[in-house]
Amino acid sequence: MMSVITVDGLRKHYGDVKAVDGISFEIHEGEIFGLLGPNGAGKTTTINVLCTYTEPTAGEIVVAGHSVTAEPEAVKRAIGVVPQDIALYPDLNAVENLRFFGRMYDIPRARLEQRIADLLQLVGLTEHARKRVEHYSGGMKRRLNLAVGLLSEPRFLMLDEPTVGVDPQSRHAIFENIQALNRQGLTILYTTHYMEEAELLCHRVAIMDEGRIIALDTPQNLISTLGTGLIHVGVKDELDDEMLARLQALPQVKNVVHRDNTLAFETVDAQRALLEIIGLFNETDTAMTSLEILEPNLESVFIQLTGKQLRD
Amino acid sequence: MKKLLYIALNELHLLLKDRMAVIWMVVLPLGVTTIMGLVFGGFGRESEAVVIDLPVVDQDGGEMAAVVLDILSQTESLHVETEYDEETARQLVSDGKRAGVVIIPQGFSDAITSGRPTALELIVAPGGQTAPLLEGMVRGVASTFSSVQTTVEVVISEVQRATGSYDLDYEGIARRVVAIALERLEDPPVRARITTVGSAEEEFNIFDQMVPGYAVMFAMFTVLSAAGGILEEKERGTFKRLLIAPIPRWSLLGGKLMAQFLTGVGQIALMFLFGALVFHVNLGSSPLGLLLVTLATCWATTSLGILLVAVIRSRKQIHPITTLIILGSSAIGGSWYPLFMMPKAVQQVARVTLVAWAMEGYNRLMILGGSLADVWVDIGVLALYGAICFGVGLRLFRFKET
Repeated sequence: MMSVITVDGLRKHYGDVKAVDGISFEIHEGEIFGLLGPNGAGKTTTINVLCTYTEPTAGEIVVAGHSVTAEPEAVKRAIGVVPQDIALYPDLNAVENLRFFGRMYDIPRARLEQRIADLLQLVGLTEHARKRVEHYSGGMKRRLNLAVGLLSEPRFLMLDEPTVGVDPQSRHAIFENIQALNRQGLTILYTTHYMEEAELLCHRVAIMDEGRIIALDTPQNLISTLGTGLIHVGVKDELDDEMLARLQALPQVKNVVHRDNTLAFETVDAQRALLEIIGLFNETDTAMTSLEILEPNLESVFIQLTGKQLRD
Repeated sequence: MKKLLYIALNELHLLLKDRMAVIWMVVLPLGVTTIMGLVFGGFGRESEAVVIDLPVVDQDGGEMAAVVLDILSQTESLHVETEYDEETARQLVSDGKRAGVVIIPQGFSDAITSGRPTALELIVAPGGQTAPLLEGMVRGVASTFSSVQTTVEVVISEVQRATGSYDLDYEGIARRVVAIALERLEDPPVRARITTVGSAEEEFNIFDQMVPGYAVMFAMFTVLSAAGGILEEKERGTFKRLLIAPIPRWSLLGGKLMAQFLTGVGQIALMFLFGALVFHVNLGSSPLGLLLVTLATCWATTSLGILLVAVIRSRKQIHPITTLIILGSSAIGGSWYPLFMMPKAVQQVARVTLVAWAMEGYNRLMILGGSLADVWVDIGVLALYGAICFGVGLRLFRFKET
């Protein structure tokens, strides 16, 4: 499959802070690729490098066949970006905003006017086209933000947390837009810290934490590592190696991770594994302080990998 | 180049959509200039002279005291009040209701006519702007009587030398000399001829100073505020959106600066037009000089803006800093008072501000009747000032994260 983006060993350091610490991935033509991670994981920094806004500290990054450091102008013409901020002029209306940004891409006048009409139709703002953006709801602004990113008819679209602070209706509309655009062949990079969005939209997901990619696969494959669920057991005292070995050997347990005072069990079948785990704790007279069964999803994958909540 | 123009047009479009900005740019400068001009200088050329109410307490009641009252009463800028006693008059000064009071002491007339020393007393409020004026007037009256005494002594000495007689009527001679002196006051044999440099036939119009002064100050507010708008765009994200579009950097920044520059020029032009039509401001005899000083001023201001934006980088910080710079440089640079009226030290310090060079140029053209040749230095310094600020600002300006 042809790669639209190749990132090899990307690092971005701000002094001692490693915002992105040596990540590599490829995005294939026609796919929706998700960057999933909590705030501060390095997602926006990665997008900023890909769109030429930020200079990388190290790494080879090729977008649509052009190096972001050697051929930034060619990269700019090939991409569309929907930034996390509502990057619009609040005193202008939708048409004026689109017309101004469209002119920055040298789109011929007649073509631009047609494009503006089509995009307003796409994001459902035709009826509000002449209203000042400052009077828009948060969701309407997000949809217009998306439209501006699509003005130049890019080959590759980057969306940085495009649903932050929007109402469910606008979120649904944005999802539909993204899926429709993808069906038309647009390759998309989508960053979010909402795991359900990544599961719903993305063909593949890279999970980021503290500037690194800690897992990269399809959502289904990542979730399947958890079996039918993840069990967290809180313990009062440190368990000895023999106890840990016996827990690991339980038939319904695939893997046990012992972190601080919590045991995280990846299971074959969560319900049966639970019975086995409780049985062993009773048999050895080991005290439990808490017990939790987590649904198998990307959030659980993140917790299993990092021991942290995705929305920390 | 096309994108630069689109960006400049967009900036002007945004400016016109902001009603508060338009009020700030147009209504406020015209309003403030009008009010300040009327307060300090009256209305245009038909301004009435300022008249100072001056209580005079006559404790002497004699012939020479009457002469003092007569002289002061004939002074156009004074309205003499004789109805107060000393205590009341002093209280009026203490209360700030009068700028000063003159006391003619008992025995004043006798002292004058007998050649003894005496004094006219002037009591003024501390820090009053009219105190030096009153001081000058009272000294003038005192000087007249000193001359009378000197003249009488000379006359008597000469007569004694010529006739050998020592039985002369000092008092009579003194009265005669005073009478002659009073006559001469109306038609003095020695006059002071005062000529105004430049437009000798025209009176000084306070608005010739006020209009350019406030035009420069408010243009600085507008331009530097627009420069701060770049920081606002950075925070809002639209600047980033433009940076990741295929736009040359020079077009991006150039478009924004062009809009700021044109706004400044337009604002100054509007102020001058208003001043000329409403307050008959004298625009001088060199339209080209006026245009070049204005262009150079706006260029320097626009460049100062990009330097400040490059150095400060935060919208919260830039507004108080620019306000401080504008008010400080306006105060010492001659926006509020002509530069040549400032103390020497202030004039020297003011040279670091662009306002001083702009106002020197405008004053030379509009008050002193200068030509283009008289303002070349001012234009050159402003152009250089702009070039330095622009160069340093551009070097320090952060287009993207590094």
